[in-house]
Amino acid sequence: MNGVFSSLSAGRWTLLVGAVVLATLFPVAYHDPYYMTVIVTAEIVLILNISWNFVLGMAGVWNFGQLAIYALGAYGGGWVMLHARWVPVPLAILCGGLFAATVSVLLAFPTLRLFGIYTSLLTFAFSQVVQYVALNDPGGLTGGAFGFPAVPGLFPDLGPAASLRGYYWVCAAVIAISMAALAWLRQSHLGIALRSIRDAPAYTASRGIDPRSVRIAAFGLSGFLAGIAGSLYLCFQQSITTSQMGLSPMSIDVTMLVIGGLGTLSGPLIGTAVVTVIQTALISYPGWQLTILGAILLLIVIFVPGGIAGAISRSTQRVRAWVAEGEDSDSAPPPVRSPDTVRPSRFSDRST
Amino acid sequence: MTDFVAILTSALVYGSIYGLVAIGMSLIYGTLRILDMSQGSMVMVGGYVGWSALVKYGANPVVALVLAFVATFALGTITELISVQPLIGRRRDLDFEMVTFITTFAVAIVLTNVALQHFGPFQKNVPPIVAGSLHVYKGVSISYHELTMAGISIALIAALGLFLGRTRWGLAIRAVAQDIDAARSVAVPVTRLYPATMGLASGLAGVGGVFLAALYFASPTAGDLPLLQALIVVVLGGLGSLIGTLYAAYLVGLMQSLCEVEIGTTWSLPILYGAILLVLVVRPNGLKGSPSAARL
Repeated sequence: MNGVFSSLSAGRWTLLVGAVVLATLFPVAYHDPYYMTVIVTAEIVLILNISWNFVLGMAGVWNFGQLAIYALGAYGGGWVMLHARWVPVPLAILCGGLFAATVSVLLAFPTLRLFGIYTSLLTFAFSQVVQYVALNDPGGLTGGAFGFPAVPGLFPDLGPAASLRGYYWVCAAVIAISMAALAWLRQSHLGIALRSIRDAPAYTASRGIDPRSVRIAAFGLSGFLAGIAGSLYLCFQQSITTSQMGLSPMSIDVTMLVIGGLGTLSGPLIGTAVVTVIQTALISYPGWQLTILGAILLLIVIFVPGGIAGAISRSTQRVRAWVAEGEDSDSAPPPVRSPDTVRPSRFSDRST
Repeated sequence: MTDFVAILTSALVYGSIYGLVAIGMSLIYGTLRILDMSQGSMVMVGGYVGWSALVKYGANPVVALVLAFVATFALGTITELISVQPLIGRRRDLDFEMVTFITTFAVAIVLTNVALQHFGPFQKNVPPIVAGSLHVYKGVSISYHELTMAGISIALIAALGLFLGRTRWGLAIRAVAQDIDAARSVAVPVTRLYPATMGLASGLAGVGGVFLAALYFASPTAGDLPLLQALIVVVLGGLGSLIGTLYAAYLVGLMQSLCEVEIGTTWSLPILYGAILLVLVVRPNGLKGSPSAARL
């Protein structure tokens, strides 16, 4: 743990602690039930996005089956909640996470031999097939088109306002723990192996790191978190329908990840916040929400590659370079690494 | 025997329409190295153009098909100009295939929701192109509409083959697919070829959309299932391989009709998916694809 947190400067520490304290105290001061519901829903989506960002952005595996994993986590957790009532609800949520992790690891196996676009096709088709089967479920496990039967949830004894606050804090804790774990994981052995496999698979394998086990680990961890998000969603909303893994939630989540910045630590947080604000602002024009989000997604990919987090880190780099130039005008300014010059056009380095 | 004939006829019909939608995807991947996620929306748009022409204005079916082709050709060209052209040669934080996967997906989102706004969520009935049906064998009959669909699909795929094999533009497209640098060095206008290729593929999907709309309905989400099926077909056949796509289309059609006759419709998609999974575990690049690692 030391490696991550000792690297933070004092200013960043203050910012981080301040943000955590503010986020913790927020529901004490704020009570509007409508916006609290919006915020808690966004928190659950954020947990899902953190898990997806881990496998998609950091590990660089084109997994587009994450929403099915998420829904399966909800079904797994819900099954425990309904059929094994002696299990405490938090444990049932963990069971949902474990079930999702198992499915995710199973999904990882066929993708081991696949590259890039084939992985995305296989996992995308996986999510569509899971949705199709859940919708036409012959065994009655998922509730089909009507959705999963109501579950008691985490706080069956509390009033609506208190339980909203409870969910807020539970989700915030999950977010804080998972983000801290990711920050630690990024500089751990596994995190470095993941990034190096993403950037240079052949070289990494030649250095004795097994790409398969690393990929399976990435799928398992991300699936676990997605399953927890799914179970939390089920507890909070009291129900889950198959439309949760449809194309429109998927497009919203992809938009969040890309707007925030794929593969960055703060990307999901920024993206989820921005998109939730846009969605809430457009609530009176429900038909135009996705159209506008799709257009924003397109514009961000074309004009702001790396998303908002990428743009912020680029501009702070530029400011630092400018400051360093002023302080020490004799030495040459550190070159700002422009992403355009990192690699040549893909068309020139292709050998067939 | 009846089962056998039924399976074969529906395999022919399904396979032809899958081939028509999927071959465009494979062509685009072979030429541009992008997976066009807007292909499903083109099926949807084709369905709505067919509905407008046939039901709203009472036009001739041939006119409807041509209109659908022209409209989706134009839309495909515009899609390429908006979502792919600005990204060419700008390999930034994400690689080209991933970025274009996302941008074409974004176009699909926008198209679906614009259709939802303009036409509403209700399904539109589209009449068959040709009424009536043909009796094939004891109890097995095939509607003329399906027969026309299979016939026109096969004719279009054959025409595409001729276009790619005999004409100047077709040869240029194949040259780019094989070796882009060599194609550039003999003055193939690569940047002008891209929109045309995507337009062509979208046009084929649009024609397929008119037929599919008469089989099912025209609705904003009418493109989702064809997209999924086309994805399964191109993965099975190997991206970029047109012959492989064609084989895979009929194979998928056969498997689907087999499942539907013997087991039931509910399980046909999962079983198909399981089969694809097995194929990919054994052959990671599909039946006819070349290793993608060599291209990257």
